[in-house]
Amino acid sequence: MSEDAGQYDDRVDTDAVISSASALGLMLRAVRLLTQVKGLFAAKALLALAAIFPPLTVPWFTKIIVDQVILDQPFNATEVRFPPFMLPFLDFVDGMAPMGIMLSVIAAYAGLLLLFGTRGEKTTLWLAGGQDAATQSEMKLSGGNSQSGGVFGALETVVHIRLSQRLANLLRTRLFTRMTKLPMTTLDDHRTGDAVYRVMYDSPEVPEICLNLTLTPVLTVLGAVLTVYIAQYSYGAVAPELVWVTAALVPMILLVTLPFSKLARHLGQASRASGAATTNAMEENLHNISAVQSLGATEKESAKFEHKSAESFRRHLFVILLGYLLLGIGILSFLVGGVYLAIYVLEKVALGEMSVGDWPALYAIFVLLTVSASTLGAVWINLQGNVAAIRRIFFFIDLPIESFEAGQPLPRLAREVALQDVDVVYPDGRQALHHINVTFSANELVAIVGPTGAGKTSLAYLLPKFLQPERGKVLFDGIDLAGVDVASLRAQVTYVFQEHTLLSKSIRDNFLLVKPDASDADIAVACAAAGAEEFIASLPDGIDTVLGRSGDTLSVGQQQRLSIARGLIRDTPVLILDEPTAALDPQTENALVQSLVNAAQDRLVLVIAHRLSTIRKADRIVFLDEGRIIEIGNHEQLMQNIGGAYAKFVTIQLGDTQLP
Amino acid sequence: MGSLLVGGTFVGYDLWFNKALNGEPLESVQTVYLLLDESYSAQGDESKELTYEQRETVLNRILLGATIVALLLIASYVIGGTYQAWIYQRINQGLRTVMIRRVEHLSLQYHAHSRTGDMIYRVYQDSATITNVLQTFVVTPLRAIGTALISTVVLMFFSPWLGLMLLVTFVPLIWLIVRFTPRLQTHARQARQRNSNLTANIQEVFEAIKLIKANSAEAHALREFDQESNSALDAAFAFRWDIILLTTSLMVISVSVLLFAEYWMAGWSRAEDATYLGGVVGFVGFAVWNLGAFQTASVRLADTNHHTNDVASLWSAAQDLAVGLDRAFDLLDLKATVIDAPDAQAFPEVVREVSWRDVNFSYGEHRVVNNLNLQAASGTITAIVGTTGAGKSTLMTLLLRLYDPDSGGVWINDVNVKDIAIADLRANIAIALQQNMLFTESIAQNIAYARPDATRAEIERAAQLTCAHDFILNMPEGYDAELGERGGKLSTGQRQRLSIARAVVRDTPILILDEPTASLDAATEHQVLENLRVWGRNRVVFLITHRLSTIRNADQIAFLADGAIAELGSHDALINRSGGLYRQFVQADTVGTAVDE
Repeated sequence: MSEDAGQYDDRVDTDAVISSASALGLMLRAVRLLTQVKGLFAAKALLALAAIFPPLTVPWFTKIIVDQVILDQPFNATEVRFPPFMLPFLDFVDGMAPMGIMLSVIAAYAGLLLLFGTRGEKTTLWLAGGQDAATQSEMKLSGGNSQSGGVFGALETVVHIRLSQRLANLLRTRLFTRMTKLPMTTLDDHRTGDAVYRVMYDSPEVPEICLNLTLTPVLTVLGAVLTVYIAQYSYGAVAPELVWVTAALVPMILLVTLPFSKLARHLGQASRASGAATTNAMEENLHNISAVQSLGATEKESAKFEHKSAESFRRHLFVILLGYLLLGIGILSFLVGGVYLAIYVLEKVALGEMSVGDWPALYAIFVLLTVSASTLGAVWINLQGNVAAIRRIFFFIDLPIESFEAGQPLPRLAREVALQDVDVVYPDGRQALHHINVTFSANELVAIVGPTGAGKTSLAYLLPKFLQPERGKVLFDGIDLAGVDVASLRAQVTYVFQEHTLLSKSIRDNFLLVKPDASDADIAVACAAAGAEEFIASLPDGIDTVLGRSGDTLSVGQQQRLSIARGLIRDTPVLILDEPTAALDPQTENALVQSLVNAAQDRLVLVIAHRLSTIRKADRIVFLDEGRIIEIGNHEQLMQNIGGAYAKFVTIQLGDTQLP
Repeated sequence: MGSLLVGGTFVGYDLWFNKALNGEPLESVQTVYLLLDESYSAQGDESKELTYEQRETVLNRILLGATIVALLLIASYVIGGTYQAWIYQRINQGLRTVMIRRVEHLSLQYHAHSRTGDMIYRVYQDSATITNVLQTFVVTPLRAIGTALISTVVLMFFSPWLGLMLLVTFVPLIWLIVRFTPRLQTHARQARQRNSNLTANIQEVFEAIKLIKANSAEAHALREFDQESNSALDAAFAFRWDIILLTTSLMVISVSVLLFAEYWMAGWSRAEDATYLGGVVGFVGFAVWNLGAFQTASVRLADTNHHTNDVASLWSAAQDLAVGLDRAFDLLDLKATVIDAPDAQAFPEVVREVSWRDVNFSYGEHRVVNNLNLQAASGTITAIVGTTGAGKSTLMTLLLRLYDPDSGGVWINDVNVKDIAIADLRANIAIALQQNMLFTESIAQNIAYARPDATRAEIERAAQLTCAHDFILNMPEGYDAELGERGGKLSTGQRQRLSIARAVVRDTPILILDEPTASLDAATEHQVLENLRVWGRNRVVFLITHRLSTIRNADQIAFLADGAIAELGSHDALINRSGGLYRQFVQADTVGTAVDE
């Protein structure tokens, strides 16, 4: 499967083999969710349990209609005994004329049918799904069923739907929470489409697992045992071997279906992985639509999607085929059993040991048992498909998340941030930083400078703990971040990313996301500092303007100013800006840099920058190259070092752009 | 298959109950098609009973028939069922593909205002309903109507009263269904809309995950997710609640009818009343009401009941499907606003000049380009300069026909780009976008993204030109290194260089670089621009930029203000225009950098 995972371009979850043992482990973990929905589960269990009994009476009513009503036989013409629960009814109709008996049966039927739908009616609410795993998820998410019909069945189904929804929502909320807490380096490799697939389409499998491992087998076995017991009670004397042959049906059908479970599991996994790949293709395609269109690659992207989608359909077709094959096997076993039963009953009837009415009674018992047997077989096979989905969920729940659990709350930064002998190594083995030693004071503006790929962003990532040092320490006022509560740390560090992600909500909501209690005045101040005030005012709805996807309705420079303003509004002791001015025109840039200088009066401002106009204003400049600090100092100091890395950098940048 | 089963039971029930189990003699027609001799029929003796051996023989004939039917059934499930699923998948695949193509060709104006998650939901979930439409509106109703017809005929055969009763039941059933339909539709639409919102919510959260983490807004995101999720679940529940109400009400009606009928039928069977058409079609037996007749009629009634219930559930599901399809077709019905002219011309073989003539363009009510005129000749580099939001990038999107201008036009030599096929146009213009979008493929594939047939040598040459070659070779797998989503593993400067290389490798006569060097350090920037100057000798190159060091390399500088060209000329010419906008711009840039020495 590991090469398959590559084929479905999954980068994080690459080794996906499930052994039977781990499958069972996963299932048991899923079942544990039931403890959180005890009330609903108990209601469903009780309703389902109660629904076992009414159908058991049906064979006997049929027998009475045939023997006593239509064929006019007396009761007890043969040695076949009615089960004890029928005795009150028999007492009631004792001595009645045949049509009186019929009327009583009809009355009993009316009650049973309206309440329980005892004549094979079942309630199912699986709405139509599509032809692959993803498009059936909605059906499963809000699905419900009951083995009985009638009012009772409707009630049970309603409870079941709520139970399914609650269980799936529990799991998908937990998954969502865990995924947002994954470390930055894992998220870099993870794909949005895959996240959508797991949260939306994998999690609805869990209700089926929970019920199929608990209620379904218990109730099915209970039903089968009761049926066999009644058969033994009534026909044990007349036809002992028949009872045992029918009882043997259950284990026989199980033996036939179980060998398919590994295959079922494999097919289920392949179907889901290829479905997620399709979602990825679609998400990436839509997200990068401007690149796709301007590079003339629409045809190529369509073809890619078409291919992935066809593959996911093809994989699912195997799942469907296996289902039909197992159904075929079920019909075949049913046929064999039915043939045996017919020959046997005819002989007994001819000998006068049974009456004609025993056929419908025995046939109904036979049907009850075969249904139980195939239910048990199907449960195990279906579980294999479910477990493929559950594994995809638990995989992410199990990934190590950022250490949120460890941690004392961090007091507000007062003096300094120190990096002591820090090494940073990426998961793929690249070393981004070597022996970094530097101290930033709590009220200075520091520029981090260096060629692309020098490790500037990695260094900045250490402060909000997006990255953790392999060796060495990051200290806030002497407190090692390793043991600090991440939320309290991030409440003090604002990081403005280079790729200014704006949510497609109103501008105001974008501010409220980072500072839920921001007032209009706060927003206005931040916007003014970032030079965003003017263009926001020119928008038709001002700060209530709803942005397009990823802020597409604004120009890149406007997006950048907005995302800086969003950083400023948090008013934290540490502010980090990654290339804040790259897309700004010089006037705007100058204004912004001045605001940063002001902001640095009472906080640490860290700016990653290439533009001299930004760098020059810094109190100190840290020049990085290949993961090492080459030079530290202010602009004047570093310029003294003729031939130094910084001086060279400045010379190239200035070139001959001086005014004449 | 369904009618085979019905027919089989119709013939079989008489044989099994009346003849085999009860020992009554066969009708003479029955002896013929069971290939039995005359000794099995009554031969005038109505009180005759079959011997045990004879009854066994009849049973064997029945079992043979049952086996054949069962095998046919299995074959039809395995082959027919899988084949049907395959057909449905093909149809769904077709619709998905058409939708994604349509989405891709919609103008960026549309995309700027739509949510990715919503489109995922439409392409995925809403389109899947198409196959169910066939099942729901064609296959199942046909089967239900077929079964109802057969049942009605069978029941008429026994008694016209039964048939009539069945028909009368349909009146309240249909009334109930009609009453429920509007509610069902409303709830189905709500459920789909809310699920669509939820998908969009998840997609956006994971797209903006860095931002959310950096601001410790996980709790906020979770709260929103929880809200959206619960509201979607509640809508789904409300829809299903309606269905249960409807089907349960229907069940009460049909069960009452069934039981009423069974009571009368039992009476007729006891009295062995003549059946209505028994004399006419004697070959199946059932000349009079008896056990077999009772069983047959009762099974028919129950079966019709089941089918009415099926139809009601399906009708409910159909409301959901209709809503789903409506949402899918909504997308298909959108007209692409940028379309090929009917008699599209070929892209000119030699590009001499690109010109914007009297171009006006607005985003909604917001005028971005205002009566703009600009020419750029082959062999020159034109820098487009101006304040943020001045319309610089928009100018290039008009050339690429990502949008069409409101009035005026963009011309290549003397051909309006509107008259060139879009695919042809975009094949001849390479652009490196500001956003540096990369795809989850290898580095080599990313560079060759828009030109999949590029050789490794061409890819490496493009990478060298943009100073990307060295850092690529430093990666463990070099050009075959796989990138994370949106190029996650690379620094912005590295992504930027790949994105320029991707444009360069296409070797087109027109090249656009949108803020190409914003994230490059000075030394790299200098080198890249120098390389491009040599490479661009016989091409039209546009640079959109703020950086003076970049601008200075241009042959002409177009300074944009308020959507029009305010100043045009070389650096030296513009810098000397006292009070000129460009001069102010340069001053602003150098105020900070002037070295106080």
